[in-house]
Amino acid sequence: MKRRGLVFLSIFFALSLVFIAQNNAQNSVKAGSGFVGSEVCKDCHEAQYNKFMGSIHSKKAIPGNPANKAACESCHGPGDQHVEKGGGRGVAIFAFSKKESSTDRDAKCLECHTESRGLPFWDLSRHQSAQTTCDNCHSIHSPVQGKTYLKAQEPDLCFTCHKNIMSQTNKQSHHPIREGKINCSSCHNTMGTSHNGKAMIKADSVNELCYKCHAEKRGPYAFEHPPVEEDCLLCHEIHGSNHSRLLTRRVPLLCQSCHDSGSHPTRPYTNLHSFTGTATQNKNRFFGRSCLNCHGNIHGSSLAAGFDR
Amino acid sequence: MICLAPFSHALSQDNKTIEGEINLTGVWIDVNGEEGGEAKATEYRDLREDGGLYGRARFKLDTDKYFLNFEAGDFGYHTQYYQIDGGMWGKFQLNLFYNEIPHNIAFDARSLFFKPGEDTLTGAVNTNFGTWNTFDYETLRRQYGGGLKVDVIRPFFFDVSFARENRNGIKPIGAAETSPGGRAFELPEPVDYVTNNLVVSAGYARKPLFLSLNYFYSDFGNDNNALNVPANFNAPRTISLPPDNTYHGGTVKGALSLPFNSRISTNVGYSSGSSETPTVSLISSGYKGKADTLNCDVALTTNPLRFLDAKIYYKYYKRDNKSDDPTGVVNTFLDYKVITYGGELGLRLPQKFYLSGGYKYVWTDRDDEGVTDPLLLPPANMDNNFFVDLKWSGLDFLEAKAGYERLDRDVHYRSPQSAADPRRQFYYAAQKRDTVKAMLDIFPLENLNFGLEYRFKNTDYTDTTYGLKSEQGHEVEASADYSLGKIAKLYAYGNFGWVKYNQLETAGSGLTGDWRATQWDENWGYGIGAEIYVIPKKLTLVFQHDYMKSDGSVDYTLPPSLFVAGTGLAGANNYNIDIGRWDDYTLYSFMIKAVYNISKHFEASLGYAFETFSYNDAQLDNYSFANNVGANSNRFFFSGAYKDQSYTEHLVFTGITYKF
Repeated sequence: MKRRGLVFLSIFFALSLVFIAQNNAQNSVKAGSGFVGSEVCKDCHEAQYNKFMGSIHSKKAIPGNPANKAACESCHGPGDQHVEKGGGRGVAIFAFSKKESSTDRDAKCLECHTESRGLPFWDLSRHQSAQTTCDNCHSIHSPVQGKTYLKAQEPDLCFTCHKNIMSQTNKQSHHPIREGKINCSSCHNTMGTSHNGKAMIKADSVNELCYKCHAEKRGPYAFEHPPVEEDCLLCHEIHGSNHSRLLTRRVPLLCQSCHDSGSHPTRPYTNLHSFTGTATQNKNRFFGRSCLNCHGNIHGSSLAAGFDR
Repeated sequence: MICLAPFSHALSQDNKTIEGEINLTGVWIDVNGEEGGEAKATEYRDLREDGGLYGRARFKLDTDKYFLNFEAGDFGYHTQYYQIDGGMWGKFQLNLFYNEIPHNIAFDARSLFFKPGEDTLTGAVNTNFGTWNTFDYETLRRQYGGGLKVDVIRPFFFDVSFARENRNGIKPIGAAETSPGGRAFELPEPVDYVTNNLVVSAGYARKPLFLSLNYFYSDFGNDNNALNVPANFNAPRTISLPPDNTYHGGTVKGALSLPFNSRISTNVGYSSGSSETPTVSLISSGYKGKADTLNCDVALTTNPLRFLDAKIYYKYYKRDNKSDDPTGVVNTFLDYKVITYGGELGLRLPQKFYLSGGYKYVWTDRDDEGVTDPLLLPPANMDNNFFVDLKWSGLDFLEAKAGYERLDRDVHYRSPQSAADPRRQFYYAAQKRDTVKAMLDIFPLENLNFGLEYRFKNTDYTDTTYGLKSEQGHEVEASADYSLGKIAKLYAYGNFGWVKYNQLETAGSGLTGDWRATQWDENWGYGIGAEIYVIPKKLTLVFQHDYMKSDGSVDYTLPPSLFVAGTGLAGANNYNIDIGRWDDYTLYSFMIKAVYNISKHFEASLGYAFETFSYNDAQLDNYSFANNVGANSNRFFFSGAYKDQSYTEHLVFTGITYKF
């Protein structure tokens, strides 16, 4: 299988050499004229101009920045026709409005940001395929949130579209997202990942992502619980759950989804087995933390296959 | 200090912007709740005492060449954080951080054992829990580290970051005296972890090529190898704790722009993890844990025509368990590989319709190197996924989306089996899943937005005889916000969720008959909020109210055969047992705050917040700490983890902010 990886890489490098050469030839073609200069823009758009001058895009120290190109017109396009026609929103100018397609709007940003280290996989982003554009989330002139120029703080910004995730984080068992200790971008790469995954997680697998904060679960354990090694999401609802410890369902029924092979795991434990229930046996398998009353090392054990029961 | 070094020069520059703020807030808090309630009220916060003074500061320096940002808060509390980053625009960036995250589970928990928090417990069995030792179930993460990003030699870049986390505290762990049927003990598990993470990345980014080489290293250390309970079980007991582990690997990531607005991307990586089982008494065989993973992603995306987007992709992921156990005490070593490939197509249609669809195939192959009996080998899965989405943005004030997704999962077992074979476990069971979603966003005015979403999901575990057989759920979300210029901002949201799970189980050895459980999770919530500019730019009133309710239940249908003498199921007056309190809770909160701008530089605030959480669950009703009579399977020594999480909290706060 290592050979398969080397084949991928070899093909990739060969293609790279061909297209770097081709692209260098294309880069020698200069853009046409029609630029009026940002001082002309300022005459009518002073507020936007001032915000632009306070933004990262105005920094000449950054190579390739709009400040080193045509300033406002680097993104909005040549302004001569716009000026000639007396201005107006979207009149002969690229206004980043809904009238322009998402592809065109993204293309404006990607002219420079394809060369950003954080954006090589935008084409594989779910946001891209859902026609979400850069300016849906980023405010280029007047950022609210720091260096990433987001229009609002995380997670509120993400919740404007991902309403169901907001509902989940409001549930009683949740990661400290609404407490501000974890952000959406702690786990998700909103700009896309190489694996075309729906959730755009910042790892090659769900478990590898979870281990970044929960390294004690990484093992390898001598006695593994196979579903645990394969996918944390089989038992945990990551954004929030009605059930403690972010479980997808209540224990013991969650465990009994798989453990149906007889003996005590598969017997019915009901409120007859509650602290004051009338059952005469097996009560400590229902009340308290149910199965976990005895099987404490459910993520793996160095001692016994029954997870230290 | 390293971050600050360039800034003595930056401060002397003419064209600079300096801004920031310092805030000091006094908080008075009153929490009414039992041990678990007090902890739940402050689950990820440090508000346990009657209150205190909380500070927050932010500073930003920006010049044509340099930048510096500093942010910190909650000084001296277990939620404190400090972040500083600075550098030269376009050249380099340094950052340092310190952050604390508490997790409070239960305060004043009890244990019949002495030395909770240590790896060797002592004491004697004692049911008089009033005399037990008290301690807190809580953990605290202290995270610190830093990083450097260098862009001096563009298009080459170099990044390095290091982070260390110390996690300390106590969490609950369960153990039985004998298995099955022994007394259950809930024990304080010591948490003394250290995790180090290092990431190094170097690359090249200039059109048409992006290429990066990445290395990562992580090690985890646990100061406690095992939890020893020497005196109170039938025999001295050792409970294993997470072993030390090390993980490192490298990846090559690349993307290349091609003709016809196309792009090929790849990510190839290999990693290796190992663990040590530290105490020979745990496994005398000398087990050495090792698991390697290999990942290869390759994808081609294209947008050759304005109306057409397409992508094809392939992913190979393999986990190879190379653990070694010379004497065969450990006899299962799970390997698996997942091969994923598929394609997607997007079409821009007339009238601003966008239609997209795709197909994905996932093959999950599992193997267990230590298992030779084909009956016990884990099966393989073949998933066929289809989806289609339609988006319409034909009106300036409206956007609508609808989508459908289908999953067909087949299972390939290693040996023939009967329909009732218990190996048809939920985790890899065959299933057919349909998901339907619809969304509507309306923005009739620039300052008015409405959103509505609906999702339906139905999963049938088609070949499962025993275990989870089906699940079905609906979700509805709604939101609205309205901005009245200089007068107010208003917003509201609501949600409803309903999920039903069906399980069929066999009663197990020694008993005959099948039983059924139908479980419901129902929750709904809403929130309303307002910012009212009573005196524009001078006095603002902020109001927020949230409500969340969960109503769970489960209905058991038991066969008459389970009520025969000796099965222990006494007290049932019929074969249907309904449990109405199944993680039920209500969370109600509101907050009102006034913010007054005293001057250009000073701002004062005063507010009150109220929150109440009411929790009910059949498994925790009439919670008891100990019982040492009757059948062994009824006996227990609990410590109060999750005992009663209900609480009521009042919070008054007042603060002053200086802005510059």
